[in-house]
Amino acid sequence: MSTIRVRSAASYWLAVPAAAWMLGVVVVPIVLLAWVSLWGGRAFSTASPLTFDNYAKFFANQTYLKLALTTVGHTATLMAVTGVLGYCVAYFLTMKVRSPFWRLALFLAFIIPFWTSTLIRAIAWVPFLGVNGVINQTLMFVGATQSPIEAFLYSRTGITMAQVSLYTMMAAGPVVYMLNSIAPQLREAAMTLKATPLVVFWRIVFPLTLPGVVIGQVLVFLNVMSDFATVATIGGNKHALLSNLVLLFYEGSQIRAASVVAVLLMICMLIGVVIALRVVDIRRLGAER
Amino acid sequence: MSLHWKTRLSLTSWILGTLTVIFLTYQWLPIFTLGLLSFAGPTGGTTFPMNGTSFHWYEEVWRATVMNDFKPPLMRSTLLAAACSLTTIVLSTMAAQAMRGQFRGNGWFFYLMLLGIMAPGILVGFGFAIMMRILGVELAWDTTTFLVQVSWTLPFGFLTMLAVFNRFDKRVEEAALTLGASRITTFRRITLPLVLPGVIGAGLFGFSLSYDEYPRSMFTTGPDATLPLAIMAQLDRQLTPEIYAIGTTTTLFSLIAVTLCTFALWAMRRSTALRRT
Repeated sequence: MSTIRVRSAASYWLAVPAAAWMLGVVVVPIVLLAWVSLWGGRAFSTASPLTFDNYAKFFANQTYLKLALTTVGHTATLMAVTGVLGYCVAYFLTMKVRSPFWRLALFLAFIIPFWTSTLIRAIAWVPFLGVNGVINQTLMFVGATQSPIEAFLYSRTGITMAQVSLYTMMAAGPVVYMLNSIAPQLREAAMTLKATPLVVFWRIVFPLTLPGVVIGQVLVFLNVMSDFATVATIGGNKHALLSNLVLLFYEGSQIRAASVVAVLLMICMLIGVVIALRVVDIRRLGAER
Repeated sequence: MSLHWKTRLSLTSWILGTLTVIFLTYQWLPIFTLGLLSFAGPTGGTTFPMNGTSFHWYEEVWRATVMNDFKPPLMRSTLLAAACSLTTIVLSTMAAQAMRGQFRGNGWFFYLMLLGIMAPGILVGFGFAIMMRILGVELAWDTTTFLVQVSWTLPFGFLTMLAVFNRFDKRVEEAALTLGASRITTFRRITLPLVLPGVIGAGLFGFSLSYDEYPRSMFTTGPDATLPLAIMAQLDRQLTPEIYAIGTTTTLFSLIAVTLCTFALWAMRRSTALRRT
């Protein structure tokens, strides 16, 4: 018994506004993009003939293909770095910190930047990375280099450095959640049966946190693939990823080309998410255990 | 590996601890530097040395006119975030309550909401802008941007409410119903007060997500920019400590909002906990 009857008409009508909103603003526009990407001709008109020319043009261009590969490589690097780093941090926070005060303090220290603007946090990296930036000043002060290294601002390294700081907590959050839900008795039982800590970790703790790892990786994957803002802020115009190409074409009024890139981006992401969903059942998270 | 396992265990603790501290520094240092550099002297550049300390750049932000005036965008962003927050609260509570009714197709509904989180802002924003162009609708921050941003904040509110409804004590609700209260009265008088902290959490989520949103707004806002758009535009024009001053201000602003709401949540939880005993 609850405040709503199971399979009642009321439950159906309560869901309608949200469903309509999501359909109209998310689903229809994305389907529309797929349609626009097939438009032939030059004018912006719904009567345009349909053709695959736009895709052919994209795939015929070596530069774009290389860019797509770079994007995938860049995303994979970030997933690996944030995954390992995030797991270490999550493990330390939940398993090693005993005092409730420190736990709360560390938790807040990690979660607070998450509530602030990603844009501002990306901009905050600019004074660090420039030729006269903090990193170069420190390196020269210590005596590691004689002349400033130009490899940070407007470079792939700089973008990676900033994105690691932006997205590691996305990889760590779900792991923290899963680690917290492991019953301590499980580990104790294994320890009593003389399993070494390493075996306990690999055979018990890690498999139980795997859903968290996968969800974290999906979040990082989706965010890095579509994060054109950080790339534009730190990479300047020299370094673009696939998502920046959408913007570039859009600003150049090449709506068809922009749609083609958008559709390809969407396909990449769908593949990633489907693979992840085969590993974990997201609907079970947050349910009472 | 002849070390005793206890030694090895404390060694891992040390390594992981050091790593955590290094990462914390790595995450916070840029934010602190941003704050510090925003107090640079009038001749200060965008990095060290600061050439003295002053409120010059904050005064600049305050005095600015037309081109780089951040007050109207701030106003718009705040109003927009409040509107998104309220809409999210209402719609997500309705949707989560509907999920409890297990209506037909609730599985699809769940994935539809999830899609709102998964679909990247750049695609949603771009697609929606195209749709508006086809329909011939004028883009504006208080119409199109509002529609798009709610599609971003709503799924987060929905997941929050779903988790809340999964966890609260259903027996209280059942008791009220058994004692003859109608479903609507029970929901209003029993369920809603119990899940109120979750509702506030959902609203807070909505506010923060909308306030900071950039990609979705970028395609759908039209001539009057929201704050993140104004900041990005200024960054394109000229990088001065003025941007740092704005960054520090909005960061403080959102931190204060989060702290206030966390405090409200905590206070409410305490009051409900007291009543239960």
